[in-house]
Amino acid sequence: MSLQEFWDYLVLGVMLGSLYAVIAIGYTLVYGVLQLINFAHSEVFMLGAYGSLIVLQLVSPGDNPSALASIGFVALAMAGSALFGGVTAYGLEKVAYRPLRRRGAPRLIFLITAIGASFFLYNLAGKLFGRDPLPLPEMYQNREVFSIFGAGVNITQMLQFGTAVVMMIALDMLVNRTKLGKGIRAVAQDAEVAGLMGVNIDKVISRTFIVGGVLGGVAGFLFANLNQVSYTMGFIPGITAFAAAVVGGIGNIRGAMFGGILIGIVETMTVPLLGDEWRAVSAMVVLILVLMFRPMGILGERVGRAA
Amino acid sequence: MLNKTIVKLAIPLAVGALALTGCGSDSGSDGAVKIAFQGPLSGDNVALGENMQNGVKLAIEQANAKGDLDFELEYVAGDDQGLPDKATAAAQKIIDDEGVVAVVGPAFSGPTNTSSPLYAESGLVTVSPSATNPLLTDKENGFTSFLRGVPNDNQQGAGMATYYAKKLQAKKVYLIDDKTDYGVGLATVAEKSLKDAGIEVVKKSVPAKTPDYSATAKDVVNSKADALIYAGYYQDAAPFAKKLKDAGYKGAAISGDGTNDAKFVELAGDASENWFLTCPCTDATVEAGTKKFAEDYQKEFGRAPGTYSAEAYDITNMIIEEVKKSGADVEREALRDALAKASYKGLTKTFAFGENGEFKGTDVYLYQVKGGKIGYQGNINELAG
Repeated sequence: MSLQEFWDYLVLGVMLGSLYAVIAIGYTLVYGVLQLINFAHSEVFMLGAYGSLIVLQLVSPGDNPSALASIGFVALAMAGSALFGGVTAYGLEKVAYRPLRRRGAPRLIFLITAIGASFFLYNLAGKLFGRDPLPLPEMYQNREVFSIFGAGVNITQMLQFGTAVVMMIALDMLVNRTKLGKGIRAVAQDAEVAGLMGVNIDKVISRTFIVGGVLGGVAGFLFANLNQVSYTMGFIPGITAFAAAVVGGIGNIRGAMFGGILIGIVETMTVPLLGDEWRAVSAMVVLILVLMFRPMGILGERVGRAA
Repeated sequence: MLNKTIVKLAIPLAVGALALTGCGSDSGSDGAVKIAFQGPLSGDNVALGENMQNGVKLAIEQANAKGDLDFELEYVAGDDQGLPDKATAAAQKIIDDEGVVAVVGPAFSGPTNTSSPLYAESGLVTVSPSATNPLLTDKENGFTSFLRGVPNDNQQGAGMATYYAKKLQAKKVYLIDDKTDYGVGLATVAEKSLKDAGIEVVKKSVPAKTPDYSATAKDVVNSKADALIYAGYYQDAAPFAKKLKDAGYKGAAISGDGTNDAKFVELAGDASENWFLTCPCTDATVEAGTKKFAEDYQKEFGRAPGTYSAEAYDITNMIIEEVKKSGADVEREALRDALAKASYKGLTKTFAFGENGEFKGTDVYLYQVKGGKIGYQGNINELAG
């Protein structure tokens, strides 16, 4: 691999990784407050993509929208995906997890419910939207904008990376600077004591789900913009992002960002070095190595502590 | 306490479920002669399955409408989602329906591979309009009920290679398979033919459902290949085509019958422009012999026939023709033996089978995406010159 190729793949890896990071945050947030792996998060992601598709079909961008209109279409699609993602995650918490929490169900039941909810949503989407993959209407003319170390970056990639970075920074500020963030951190550290101190636990938990759902939904839109929308699209990125969350330290928001980007780079670098068949293998090898030597993840669990 | 409740609930549920499945199996006693289709009727490549299903349905409907049959024909759907692990259940469902005398399909090579032992055991004949992996007719498999109604990938892969070597004079070809039975089979043949023609080949496997094709596309560009072969289905060919365009790939690209569907163009948009597609199938809307069929199809389903629609229609008619000879009380094994020996001139081609059910005939056709439509070019070997 030449130096130029190295930069090419590194840039692609960071792009892909930033998407994984945004999805991974959804897993980490929920784990932080509920100690639950929300396996239905990959369906929140998938439904977010459908949300953007529905909005775009309603406004139907023509063949060559102007630059300003393009920005509008992207914003609308993003809003649609955020809405779908947020509502799905909120509904999940309300219907699937809250009743269990009220009854003090054991951890295992939560996990099984999560898997069941995932199956349900996945098949429901297939039923509702059809089982055929659908293209996202084109919102702009994709072209190369600039290059980093000689690696060209086009509009789609800029949108992908830019949105991911903005969302991650916003989330970091939300968790560390706002009242809701304080609540999330308090519940993550010790829900019972937080409740005694006057934190409304139910409210904090459902808002945490909404935040994770919005991020996951938007990631779904960005992903669909790369490929296409289908009811099966959630599974592979979902599992990869979950691995990324564990690699970074599940429960740790900055860890999820770091783990996502790391996994993205590892997967992408695998393609020229070993071939595409090995990309999932190499991601899982990273996961296993991290678990062997640092079971709490590279950055460890720390939603509950001031980051 | 919880455990007791579960047990209390579980027993009647289990008994009920067993009773239901028991009832389900004697649905074949209504006397009609049934023809089944097995292929993807849901899942990622559903468009390919629906093309064929409609052909089968149309043939059955027309035969019933004609009124010269002394029995009623009925259609049975077997959905395998195009996945090998779902295929056995779909096949078993068809086999258990006693009214079914023949199956059109399975559509894909992987599902054919896993479900054919079941069909062989039950003596129920399957005539596939589209499963092209060469190994399916291998004697060692013992797929005694499998007949292939299409030239296999030895022809398709060789056709691609010949076209690249002679017509486009490619120097280096980047060859990708999607790790499915179909993709690997096609790529293996293409690789051999390309190497025989003295062309340098870079062969890679990119599993279907890879979430991001950017890195692969970059790899194609970096390899300096001037031509590309993608052996897989449209669901993955489409995002890959998009990424190739983004990565600035300028060479030729070709894919096989698994990609040859309008859905490919719809999903890939501009990026599919100029892609070559091969298929052992003709274009029903262009060829003179299938014009009437294409009109009927359009009238019935509100769209033009797709890949293998006409072939599935032909095969269904071939089955009906054989059933007619023996009447409504036709036996599965007898029909299988009769079909294996039959020669039927359909609208698209003559269906006749050689040893182990292999199709006699080798014609492969070339298509190219032009202006957002899949345009029919003609016989690939004649075009290559």
